Amino acid sequence: MTQALLAARDLSKNFGPNAVLRGLEFEVHEGACVALCGENGAGKSTLIKVLSGLLAPSSGHVEYLGEKRDWSGPRESLDAGIAVVHQEFSTIGALSIAENILLGAEPLTRLGLIDRKALNARAKALLDSLDIALPPKKLVDSLSVAEKQMVEIAKALRSDARVLILDEPTAVLSQNETTHLFRLIGELKARGMGLIYVSHRLDEIFQVCTDITVIKDGVVTANGPVSSFTHDSVVSAMVGRELGDMFPPKGTNSANGEHVLEVRDLVVAPGVPPATFHVDAGEILGLAGLVGSGRTELARAIYGADPGPGTVLLMGEPLVRRSPAGSIEAGLMMLTESRKDDGLFLESSVARNFTATTPGLGAHHANIPPGFEERRALAMKDRFGVVVDHVGLPISALSGGNQQKVLIARLLENRPKLVILDEPTRGVDVGAKAEIYRILRQLAHDGVAILVISSELIEVVGLCDRVYVMRHGELARELTGAEITEEAIIAVAAAETARTTGGLHHG
Amino acid sequence: MVDIIRATRAGPVHLVVLALIMLVFAVGVYTSDRFATPLNLAGVQDQMVALALVALAQTIVILSGGIDLSFAGALSTLCVVFAMIAGDDPQTLVMGVAAVLALGASIGLVNGAITVYLGIHPFIVTLGTSTILSGTALLLTRQPTGSVPVFFEDFLYERLGPMPYGMIFVLSLYLLVGAMLWKTRFGTRIYAVGDNEAAAEISGVPVRQTKIAVYVLSGLLAAVAAVYMTGRFGVGDPRAGVGFDLRSITPVIVGGTLLAGGRGGVLGTFLAVVLLALLGNVLNFVNVPSAYQWIVEGLIIIAAVSFFARRAR
Repeated sequence: MTQALLAARDLSKNFGPNAVLRGLEFEVHEGACVALCGENGAGKSTLIKVLSGLLAPSSGHVEYLGEKRDWSGPRESLDAGIAVVHQEFSTIGALSIAENILLGAEPLTRLGLIDRKALNARAKALLDSLDIALPPKKLVDSLSVAEKQMVEIAKALRSDARVLILDEPTAVLSQNETTHLFRLIGELKARGMGLIYVSHRLDEIFQVCTDITVIKDGVVTANGPVSSFTHDSVVSAMVGRELGDMFPPKGTNSANGEHVLEVRDLVVAPGVPPATFHVDAGEILGLAGLVGSGRTELARAIYGADPGPGTVLLMGEPLVRRSPAGSIEAGLMMLTESRKDDGLFLESSVARNFTATTPGLGAHHANIPPGFEERRALAMKDRFGVVVDHVGLPISALSGGNQQKVLIARLLENRPKLVILDEPTRGVDVGAKAEIYRILRQLAHDGVAILVISSELIEVVGLCDRVYVMRHGELARELTGAEITEEAIIAVAAAETARTTGGLHHG
Repeated sequence: MVDIIRATRAGPVHLVVLALIMLVFAVGVYTSDRFATPLNLAGVQDQMVALALVALAQTIVILSGGIDLSFAGALSTLCVVFAMIAGDDPQTLVMGVAAVLALGASIGLVNGAITVYLGIHPFIVTLGTSTILSGTALLLTRQPTGSVPVFFEDFLYERLGPMPYGMIFVLSLYLLVGAMLWKTRFGTRIYAVGDNEAAAEISGVPVRQTKIAVYVLSGLLAAVAAVYMTGRFGVGDPRAGVGFDLRSITPVIVGGTLLAGGRGGVLGTFLAVVLLALLGNVLNFVNVPSAYQWIVEGLIIIAAVSFFARRAR
C-alpha cells in the first residue's frame, strides 16, 4: 500500500467538555478524491480545520508525506502544500483576478514595488495551466459566482499544493459550472494531487470521487472505494437508518374536504395563465418544478408579498388586506427560502428569535415579562427537539437544522391555518430533515394545511400527499397518491424545454 | 490604458465631478472679471491645502474600511504644540516639525490600536480621541499662542508661477499616496481589508497591522496639515481643527470613495476638493451668504451619494 499524502492518526479534538473528533483515522492518497460525508455537526469542518492547521488537535496527530506535523497555523500548512477552498469564498471584489490570486505573494521589483507585469503574467500562467479562461486584469467584482470559485481554486493552487480540500464547492454552482469544476478535479487527480471533497450531494460524490469516508459523531462509520457504496449505504452510515425511513407515513384520512386555502384566477406575472387551486385541511401539498419555474413567485403572490389580481380565500373568506401583515393576521404564515436573510435575527438569543413574532409580544410589546421568553423557548425546545445547551445563546451558534426548527416553531406560535414553506430543508443535515418532516406531518395531522415548495424530488415524493408540478410559471399538472414519483415530476417539469435540470437534485 | 484607469481607480464619477468643476469655473468667469485672475485662483488653491491634506488621510482610512473623526481635536492640539516649539529660527522649526510628526503618529497609533485590539468601532474611538484632544488644546492655551519663524511663514505665501508652494506639496503627496496604493503590497492590503476583512484574514493579509498602519499614516498627514495651517496663521490656534472631522469626509464621499471601504481612490478626493473650493469662491463672488454655501455643500453630498447608490444597483 502506498503512503498517504495527508492523514489523521487517532485524532481527537475537544471543545471544552464536548468531544467533536474521537480517535479519528483518515487518509488521502495521491490521485485520489476522497468524499467526506456526514451530517452537519458530525465533525467534518473540525477535521478540515485540524488538517489545515486552523485548529490544534487535542490528541493524536496529523501526518503529511509520512511525517508527523504540528501546524502553527494555516500559513504553514499552505506553504507545505495543503490548500483549502472554503465554503465562503475569500476573494476580494475590489481587486483584480491576478491581485486576488497572488494576494500577499505579489512579485516585487528591486525597489520593493509590485511588479505588475510579472503579477499578471504569473496569474495568467497559473490560470492557463488549470484551463481557466479568465483575463487576469479583470476585477473580481464583475465575475459570476462560479468564476469567483475558479479564482479561489487558482489562488489555493498558487503554491505547489499536493492536497486540495474543497468544502461544499457546488453549493452555489449551476449544472454547467459544476461540470467545469468536475473536469478540473479530474485534471488535478490525474496530476497526482490528493483531494478532499466535502458535499451533501450524493450524486456528485458518486460521479467525481474515488473513495468515501463517512463520519458520524466524530468517528469514521464507513470507509472505502466508491464502488463499495450505494446511495442508501452512505446515508445509513451517516444517520444509521435507511433513506426510506426518513419520511413519516402519509396521511390516511384523505382530508375531510375542507378547503383551507382557495386560490382563484390569481395572476402572478403578466403573460402567465392565472393560477387556480386549493389546499385542504390536513394535507401536505407540494409545489415541484425547476428552479425559476415560478414556485416562489406564486407563494409570494398568495402571501401578499407581491400581490397580483385574483382572489385568495382562507377558510372560505376572501383575504382583504393583501399584504404579509394581513396574511399573518388571517392565519396564513410563510417560511422563506433564505433563513439568514429573511428569517433570523442572527445575533439575538434563541429565545428572542423564537418569541419575536408571538402575538402581543416582540415588536408590538414594550415590556416583555421577565423570564417569559425563556419559558416559552424552553417549552418549544422540548417539543421540537431543538438541540441547544441554553436558549440564551445567540441563534447563530445553532446548526442550520436547529435554526430551521426554531423558525418553524415560531410560525406555529401564531396558530396558523395554512403554512407555506419554501425549501424547508435547504442546508439542513439528514437527521434534522427527518425531524422537520415528522413535525410537518404532525401539523398536518392536527388539521393545518401545508404548502411545501421543494427542489429536492425525494422530499416531494416522500412527504407530499398531492403535488402540482410547475413549468414556466404555470401549474402544469396535478399528481396524487401513487402518481407521485420522481420520474413523473421530471417528465412534466422538463417537458417542452431544452433547459438543463439545474434545480433538480436527488436527495 | 486599462492599467492607468485601474491605477487611478478612475470612473464615470470623476467625469461628473470634472464636468461640475468646469461648470462652476464657467459660472465664475461669467460673473466676475476678478475670478479668473492669478491672484484669486492662487487664493482658491491656498484655501484647499489644509482640507486636501486631511481629506487625503481620510481617504486612506475609509478605503481600509475605517473612519477617522479625530482630526478636529488632533489638528487643534498639533497646531498649538507646533507653534509652542517652532519659535523663531530654523533649529526650533525642525524640532517643532519632528515633534508634531511624532505626536501625530502617536495619535494614529492610539486610534488604530484601540480599534484593532479592543474591537471598538473606529467611529467611537476617534470621536473619543478627538474630544480628548480638543480639551487638551484648550488646556495648553485659551488664546492663539506661540509663533513660527518668519521665513517659514513667507515661504508658505510664495508661489511658483500660478501655483502656491503649498499646492505643489499637496499634489506631490497625492501622487505619492496614489502610487503607494497601486504599487505596494501595503496599498493592495488596504483595499483587501476594506473590501472584505474576513477574506483578507483567510488570505494571510496581516489585517491588524494594516489597519494600525493606516491610522498612523492618517495621524502623520494630520501633523503635516497642522504645520501648514500654523505656518499660514503665524500662531497656534487651539480651535484650529474645529469642523475638520466632518469636512474631511465630504470630499472623500463626493469623490466616489465608498464609505463601506475598499472602493475608490485619491484622484476622486482631489477633484472633489477642487470642486468644493471653487464652488465656495464663486458663491462668494455672486454674493451668496455663507449660510447658503453650507446648504449647497450639503446638497452636493446627498446628490453625490444618491448618484453612486443608483449606479450600484
